[in-house]
Amino acid sequence: MAHEALLKEYEARRAKALAGGGAEKYAKRKAAGMWNARERIDYLVDKDTFIESGLFGSSGVYAEQADETQTDGKLAGFGKIDGRDVCLVVNDFTVKGASTSATNSKKIAHMKRTATERGMPLVVIGESTGARLPDAMGSRGMGQLLGNDVTQFRRLRETPMCAAAIGPSFGSSTWLMCQADFAVMQKGAVVAVSSPRLVSMALGEKVSADDLGGWRLHAEVTGLVDQVVDREEEVFDAIKRFLSYMPSHHMEAPPDAPVPGGSGADMDKVFSVLPESRTQVYDMKRIIRALADKDTLFEIKPRFGKSAVVGLARLGGKSVGIVANNPLHRGGALDADACRKIVDFLVLCDSFNVPIVLLVDTPGFQIGTEAERAGAPGKIMNFMNAITLVTVPHLSVIIRKSYGRAYVCMGGGRHSDDIAAWPTAEVSFMSPEFATNIVHGVGVGEPGFEEALADIRKGADVWGLAAVYAAQAVLRPEHTRDYLIRMLDVFKLRITKGVGQHLMRSWPTSY
Amino acid sequence: MASIDIKSEITGTVWQVKAKPGDKVESGDTLIVIESMKMEIPVITEDAGTVTEIRVKAKDPVAEGQVVAVIEG
Repeated sequence: MAHEALLKEYEARRAKALAGGGAEKYAKRKAAGMWNARERIDYLVDKDTFIESGLFGSSGVYAEQADETQTDGKLAGFGKIDGRDVCLVVNDFTVKGASTSATNSKKIAHMKRTATERGMPLVVIGESTGARLPDAMGSRGMGQLLGNDVTQFRRLRETPMCAAAIGPSFGSSTWLMCQADFAVMQKGAVVAVSSPRLVSMALGEKVSADDLGGWRLHAEVTGLVDQVVDREEEVFDAIKRFLSYMPSHHMEAPPDAPVPGGSGADMDKVFSVLPESRTQVYDMKRIIRALADKDTLFEIKPRFGKSAVVGLARLGGKSVGIVANNPLHRGGALDADACRKIVDFLVLCDSFNVPIVLLVDTPGFQIGTEAERAGAPGKIMNFMNAITLVTVPHLSVIIRKSYGRAYVCMGGGRHSDDIAAWPTAEVSFMSPEFATNIVHGVGVGEPGFEEALADIRKGADVWGLAAVYAAQAVLRPEHTRDYLIRMLDVFKLRITKGVGQHLMRSWPTSY
Repeated sequence: MASIDIKSEITGTVWQVKAKPGDKVESGDTLIVIESMKMEIPVITEDAGTVTEIRVKAKDPVAEGQVVAVIEG
């Protein structure tokens, strides 16, 4: 009988824990079209693979709050995504706004430690009010709750980390978004240091949640968020898709995938994407889509630093990172935001053994007062430093323009394993029009300008680069996909089974 | 529905104005073309909507970040 009573208590406690903040709160969310934490887990992981860790947790600060702090507001555990193990933390907003306190901090720490030590991706789904009050108040609260785990925010990129923001995501949810290798936000979510209410009290500044930390700010201005989605299920689809390109940990190569039918079918038309007039621009994404396995381009930060395109894709079934200039924006000139986006992406690819393909068409780094005010030289040198630290296979294709310092940053010289160029490539220290003025001292419309310009242009053509072996191949554009697939195989890291040196694993991104 | 500022990404001169108030636009449409660095550089909307204002005309100088059009989307 005693055993029976114990089992009865077990079931009662379990039911209570599973009910989170209570049926009423769950119903309210459902009516508002929001999923609860357990529905999120069900959608994210393979069926019946979730093993919960800490179901019976509750407030570690106030024992008398046990009934109102089921799971302590954050669900943790292990599941599989596409058959591969992951560690999960999913906030339950119905329990004290999923605020951070003692017990749930231990849960997060255990998930992070296990993910790191045993080589599994870590996925954290945010929706939170921030630190729990009054738990963290006062010197005793601070001493008890904050800063006692030095690994909490240490990132050495041993395993891929994904973070999501759904709804208000203050405090730890915001910090984790900034630390993640992939951060996705649903429209309507707020990612910010503090709430509009606190901002209003402290500064007297009236600001909407959207203006303070909404999707448009992070997608277009701060670049802190990698993708923005409309619907909740798309948050989880994006995370699954991101992880599909990644290894489970940094000591293995990313998984291969079957090559979709129709891949490469547009290569015979790829050259026609390029306008014949060099003053006209085009969308580099059309070239990327033709080169990559069909429908595999997964773009990162599409609305930020748009003169660069970065994204994960597959070539011949292998994960690759694409780093490209996009002449459609700023003519392909790289500004401070574009540099930061590229550097962050080089860090990601190199840390997780994803080979890189650079597609080059840039008139150079953005010049002008705005660029200098944005600290362009610092960003350019970070880019320069980062490309020298890439240890995964990286191949450059010069599509059209490649000028000045940007030529080197985009892999020029020996900064790529292999450089191929299209016959349209033009490489020089600066754009021919400006070079003509500076070298020959004649301006547009002045006598002798056209002849001098023609001379300078000829000196910038692809054959000079090929003659001195600064390009190892000149390609017919339609052969580029096959060439890259073959060269990624030639340059693969045989000795280390595809594992690079991760020289940028501790590089702080998100700045 | 929100009012969205469309900004020039680059300093240059307006070469062509391709949209007018009342036009329905889709994500990726070109509203204005700027001449800069000897190239024709489009000002593109990321959002779909209806053009409510065009604030520049051909040959106007524009600065990086300047609002050149507004759409309701």
